[in-house]
Amino acid sequence: MLRVENLTVSFRTDEGRVTPVQGVDFAVAEGRTLGLVGESGSGKSVSTKAVMRLLPGNAGIDPASRIRFTDRQGEEIAIEGLKPGARALRRLRGGEIGMIFQEPMASFSPVYTIGNQIVEAIGLHRGLKGAAARDLAVGMLAKVGISNPGARVDQYPQELSGGMRQRCMIALALSAGPRLLIADEPTTALDVTIQAQVLELMRGLQRDLGMGMIFITHDLGVIAQIAHDVAVMYLGTIVETGPVRAVLKSPAHPYTRGLIAAIPRLDRIEVRLHPVPGDIPSPSARPAGCPFHTRCADRIAGLCDRVAPPVAKLGEGRATRCHLYAERNAA
Amino acid sequence: MKDIAREALIEVSNLEVAFEIGRKGLFGGRRARLRAVDGVSFDIRRGETVGLVGESGSGKTTVGRAILRAIEPTGGRVLYHGARGDMDLAHASQSDLRRIRPNLQMVFREGGLDLATLSGAALRLFRPRMSLVFQDPYSSLNPRMTVRDIIAEPLVASGLVTDRAEVDARVREIAARCKLNLEHLRRFPHAFSGGQRQRICIARALVARPDFVVCDESVSALDVSIQAEIINLLKDLQDEMGVSFLFIAHDLSVVAQISHRVAVMYVGKFVEYAPVRSLFFHPRHPYSHALLTAVPEPDPDLPFAPERLDGEIPNPAKAPSGCRFHTRCPFVRDRCKDEAPEWREIAPEHFIACHHAEEFDFRRTEAPAGE
Repeated sequence: MLRVENLTVSFRTDEGRVTPVQGVDFAVAEGRTLGLVGESGSGKSVSTKAVMRLLPGNAGIDPASRIRFTDRQGEEIAIEGLKPGARALRRLRGGEIGMIFQEPMASFSPVYTIGNQIVEAIGLHRGLKGAAARDLAVGMLAKVGISNPGARVDQYPQELSGGMRQRCMIALALSAGPRLLIADEPTTALDVTIQAQVLELMRGLQRDLGMGMIFITHDLGVIAQIAHDVAVMYLGTIVETGPVRAVLKSPAHPYTRGLIAAIPRLDRIEVRLHPVPGDIPSPSARPAGCPFHTRCADRIAGLCDRVAPPVAKLGEGRATRCHLYAERNAA
Repeated sequence: MKDIAREALIEVSNLEVAFEIGRKGLFGGRRARLRAVDGVSFDIRRGETVGLVGESGSGKTTVGRAILRAIEPTGGRVLYHGARGDMDLAHASQSDLRRIRPNLQMVFREGGLDLATLSGAALRLFRPRMSLVFQDPYSSLNPRMTVRDIIAEPLVASGLVTDRAEVDARVREIAARCKLNLEHLRRFPHAFSGGQRQRICIARALVARPDFVVCDESVSALDVSIQAEIINLLKDLQDEMGVSFLFIAHDLSVVAQISHRVAVMYVGKFVEYAPVRSLFFHPRHPYSHALLTAVPEPDPDLPFAPERLDGEIPNPAKAPSGCRFHTRCPFVRDRCKDEAPEWREIAPEHFIACHHAEEFDFRRTEAPAGE
């Protein structure tokens, strides 16, 4: 449904050009959830904002990038070529591709009730008005597990708790009937018991509605529970992709291995944790060759620090960008 | 982790922190009272890390601040067994507090401390002495001060060390222990990454060789690989210096890796306090069990079956009657609604507040450590 190929995004800044996303490929199929995982500054939010064309004015999408979305009529839209403010783009945002963010308070307007805002979205994207739109809004709130939705619909966002607001945000995004939902750290700001509720809710809704979903998070535990496929990002590139189970159980790329080893576990108590050595380089000083070579224990001198590794296919839908595997493929 | 001594460093009994909230009525009617911390008792031993977990609004941050008198407690005692004798921090005079201030420190997450919540007197006490200990990029990592001056602040401000050469020596020593590059001491904080800034904060908290440090969400804002590094660092420093930590965090798996004992807090009260292995692998309170099952593990083979908790965390200003967890507890009975459970020792060192704890078996399997 969504295919992103060779996506490169750069920003003009006072310190020169910064390229937080470089040559990223990913795809989402109907009814599947792609987990996009990475540490801060890895480019996960920037690449999905590019899909929605929600980047700030000083950002540029490289002309060689392709962002292709197949809409409900089966027509392929080249999102990268749309003009800002184009009709097609407005129809896409919300109607075809919904988005929810970490902090719902920043997405809701404080001066309209929850109901007003959902009804507005329903009117824009589904052409329903008046009582019909309101009934649908109440129905959506009930669907996301809001108790007493008939009364909540007339409340303002700031009258609700954080968990409740995030449910309303999901109801708002879903009320336009999107076929793809992009969720950017939707549970990060929530308490763990509320996060569990929201994860179960999203898992259920995604299954029932058959939506495609991109779920962005830094938490591999959340990925394990919600995603079918995972893409691991490091410094603006995807270093490894594949089915969640395979990637988490037998990570291929040294960075994925390091990341999984560093996670403090709840089912065992360790004497020492295993951090990934070194610091993440700044995106404005991206290392030459493989971006991870400065921290990698398995780097091949003279190769990893010079040549960007090609994508190596590992079978079963898995791929990684690492010279260790490229060598093996060639052999 | 070394074995820790049995002697208590801090003994908290019946700690209470209440705030008056809401507007006064037109005719001066009584304002509502919010008990953010409502009768909490526990102790922290020398060289021990006590983890304090709970969800938002549980009062865990208020406990940490009240122990150090960054917030005025409204009841209870905080007995501190210092090198120069015992002192009840909850009732100590401002001048006594000032004297022992270098021994008690705080490390917050970046941007964590809201100075507006400190009372006037506490603020006067903390500004000259401690403002630079808080992990707030605006007030603590002063962009116009070099890293050396930032780390030296607690020594200089307390008048503990006045000789410049000695201050330098102490700063270099603690900076090296915190694995900071000594050549960077003359730089300004903006040049550092999040992990390095956190190490600067830890160095500053430890430079006066305190015996107690409150770490409030100190690693929450960090990426997982840096988080692991900081946790290892805190453990090493504890082994070397024998400092005690109160480690406040919402992330249970982090708390599991650093703590000797762990307390679980819910709406102003402790519900469970136990040695780390008992708490994580044999929890006795339904809320602890619910918290543990709510954490998604990065292993697709571990089933994710969170205990279903209905509704939301209650507003502490309208705390439920009886057991505060009864509105969400899957095992609630009539007794829980009216009668508050007493704080009792269900097994050696394992404290709990639940009427029916004996009936539950929440045991979890512990995976073999490391691969």
